[in-house]
Amino acid sequence: MNDRQLFLRRLAAGLKGMPKSSIADIMADYDAHFEAGNAAGRSEADVATALGDPGRLARELRAEVGLRRWEDERSMAAALGVMVGVLGLAALDLFIVLPLLVGVVAALFSFFIVGVGMCLGGGVALPFALIAHFPGFAGDHLQAALLSLGFLSGGASVAAFCALFTIGLINLLARYGRTHYRLITARPSI
Amino acid sequence: MDPNLVQFKKGVLELCVLALLSRSDSYGYDIASRLSDAIDMGEGTIYPLMRRMQKDELVSTYLVESSSGPPRKYYRLTDSGRRSLDVQKSAWNDFTHSVAAILDGQEKTR
Repeated sequence: MNDRQLFLRRLAAGLKGMPKSSIADIMADYDAHFEAGNAAGRSEADVATALGDPGRLARELRAEVGLRRWEDERSMAAALGVMVGVLGLAALDLFIVLPLLVGVVAALFSFFIVGVGMCLGGGVALPFALIAHFPGFAGDHLQAALLSLGFLSGGASVAAFCALFTIGLINLLARYGRTHYRLITARPSI
Repeated sequence: MDPNLVQFKKGVLELCVLALLSRSDSYGYDIASRLSDAIDMGEGTIYPLMRRMQKDELVSTYLVESSSGPPRKYYRLTDSGRRSLDVQKSAWNDFTHSVAAILDGQEKTR
């Protein structure tokens, strides 16, 4: 296999999972680059070296797509896309940020679960508090109802706060990805 | 390469592309090889940048038949690309003058 085919094959492998039209577009760009290089009298090996590591280029292109989707949609899938994209791109440098990020995400997740649990618990308890006494609960109906209501709203606000915090975190990560990993490689990829 | 230097180059790459395209429309290989010669960037990094600039509507593309092989994709500055060039260029000039003044030890005292 020659250098051109090898480069294009590795690039295509790295782009797998992106929309077909985008992949075709990108492949056409790099193919045309080889074509023009040939016309200018350069060898395929030379052009391939100057282009850089196709795996890294693919990661840059994918991360860019993920970031953009997050900016357009703000959906859960897009958020995951940013995380995966930026982490994939930054695997080397993120050894410091990664444990921190994992910690924050784990804490966030557990808070979210607790919030949802409290909210559900309060919601389920509320009707019962109105019609019957809880076993072992000293107060009256009103107290029981207020307590359930408290749990319901408390849980809801914890969950809502987690959601807000997650959005902020993803935005931060997106910015981090943009500034640090957009088009970085000056050849041999670092 | 010094990571600082990589950051510098990365930061001005878009400005350089805008400036090149403001003089004449051009195709990917041409942009990539000129910038690679001038500021020693990897040629491959131009394409992710061009895709982003196209989505940001700083550049638009059109195809031109070529005598050999498939038609070539040319990039052209849009109006907002031109505006972005003006803004970035004056910011860059101010900035480099200030930095040069500091490096020469003649910074303005406020």
